[in-house]
Amino acid sequence: MIRTENLTKVYRMGEVEVQALREVNLEIQDGEFIAIIGPSGSGKSTLLNMIGCLDTPTSGAVFIDGIDTGKLSENGLAEIRREKIGFIFQQFNLVHTLNALENVALPMFFAGVKRETRLKRAEELLANVGLGNRIYHKPSEMSGGEQQRVAIARALSNDPEIVIGDEPTGNVDTKTGNTIMDILEGLNKEGRTVIVVTHDAEIAARAGRTKRMRDGRVLD
Amino acid sequence: MKDVFLLVYRNIKERKARAALTILGIMVGIGAVVALISIGFGMEESITGELVEMADVIMVTPMRMELGSIGAFGSFTDRDLEAVKRIGGVKDAVAMMGTMEEVEYRGEKFMVHVIGTDPKDVGALFGAIVKPEEGRYLKANDHKTCTIGYSIANDYFDDEIGVNDRITINGSKFRVVGVLEKQGGFRSETDSAIYITARDSVSILDNEDISTIFVRVRNIGEAEEIAAEIEKRIDDNHKLDDFTSAMTMGSAIEQMESIFGVLQAVLIAIASISLIVAAMGIMNTILMSVMERTHEIGVMKAIGAKNRNILFLFLLEAGVVSAIGGVCGCIVGVIGAHAISFGIQTLFDVEIAAIVKPEVLLGGVAVAMLVGIISGLYPARKASKMSPVEAVRYE
Repeated sequence: MIRTENLTKVYRMGEVEVQALREVNLEIQDGEFIAIIGPSGSGKSTLLNMIGCLDTPTSGAVFIDGIDTGKLSENGLAEIRREKIGFIFQQFNLVHTLNALENVALPMFFAGVKRETRLKRAEELLANVGLGNRIYHKPSEMSGGEQQRVAIARALSNDPEIVIGDEPTGNVDTKTGNTIMDILEGLNKEGRTVIVVTHDAEIAARAGRTKRMRDGRVLD
Repeated sequence: MKDVFLLVYRNIKERKARAALTILGIMVGIGAVVALISIGFGMEESITGELVEMADVIMVTPMRMELGSIGAFGSFTDRDLEAVKRIGGVKDAVAMMGTMEEVEYRGEKFMVHVIGTDPKDVGALFGAIVKPEEGRYLKANDHKTCTIGYSIANDYFDDEIGVNDRITINGSKFRVVGVLEKQGGFRSETDSAIYITARDSVSILDNEDISTIFVRVRNIGEAEEIAAEIEKRIDDNHKLDDFTSAMTMGSAIEQMESIFGVLQAVLIAIASISLIVAAMGIMNTILMSVMERTHEIGVMKAIGAKNRNILFLFLLEAGVVSAIGGVCGCIVGVIGAHAISFGIQTLFDVEIAAIVKPEVLLGGVAVAMLVGIISGLYPARKASKMSPVEAVRYE
């Protein structure tokens, strides 16, 4: 279970303080498919970064399976990101010098998985997202939709309980967007918690639950 | 491990030109150091090696090389030579009466060092080292004959001089009976001298001043003591203090070695400057690489890379670049050393073979990698400490 408690994040930009999150209290059950929707600047990406252990709160706390992530060291956070969380970005964020197979195997490499094991698993994961015949292609040789599917395969490489998507359909056309949502739905059906941030109401409608955000607050 | 190298290799390949320039920087630094060390060893070996052949020789000259006293020449007499021969432990002693004389051959004239010696003594002392290439040595009862150094025979005059040719020394005709083997290096003086008998030196050239006495001792261990005794006896003969200088080849070797030690240290220090410049080059390259790949570092962290994973990646990149530079530097250094050796031989006619020691090559690569890793440390730490969320956002 993921729970935030009075989660607050303040960014300082020179003299100006920006309240990105204001005392957010949110509970996400295991196996839930939740969409967080809101205009840009509403704080939804910041919330996602907190839940994804990419960032630490100014005050308040994020609990993942009862662990207060604010109390973890940098390495502890890296371990949670590696073992429990799969991150999918709007910009795909693949390592452009590596091919699809190597990109998917990369998190397993950081986890210390043996080479043959991780390459075999990476191949399976790519086949699952329909890219079994493109495993040796570099990101620059792939379409946006294909890159995003590689990114999804990468997010799944360490078999995480939680899959987080920050506008995962934001940079692809509607048809591809639907394919990606199909895959995410499938992951949810396998029992994973899926959290998606979007400003597209149609995409959000496919989630089990929707939360709206505005000005750093979660609306009911 | 294979994948880390793959990642590093791809990163280097992506910025080929920059990596090549960095490698070039290290290559020049390491190459210069390796070349200078190798040529230094060669020089030391070629000079001390020649001296070792003559380790039991003491050179006696009537002059102390002291600051401000250069030019205070004198000369020895027959009495001095006899005194030296009487010292216990002295095997042979030969006197050299050297003067500069005008030598003429087929109308060409040069001033040449003409040395009068006792043929019996000089054969005992240097017979095993300086051999005639053509003809024979001087004999005790030779009259108006000479042996000539290799350069006199081949280089000085337009026409080559051979055995039985006649040359004119200070107006008198001398017949050449032998041409000596080329000596080169430390003994190159021999190549440009003409040797006549001591008797001819006195009677024809009117020169009986002994400029040098060479002494061979029975036991090298006693050389220093005997040298001191020689100085004392000759000084007593002339009733002068510090008139005589008797230098053993052993002390000459030591002196040479310490001079070469200093020379080599200075050369290496100069070459090291280029290594420092190369180190800054590596630091700059890796810093640029870190900056360019900030986004990628963020992504890697987001998908679970720990700080030390990132640190290791960038250190390895620095290590690989500098190791390649080190290996190339060694190759260039070896080639350079041989080129310098060839250059010295062509320009100065001195044979100095570059001595490439394997430990110098290994040391070269090790120093390159050390320099690389140390200069990679700062940028690599900077990369590893980046906040993932900020790095991911960086475009």
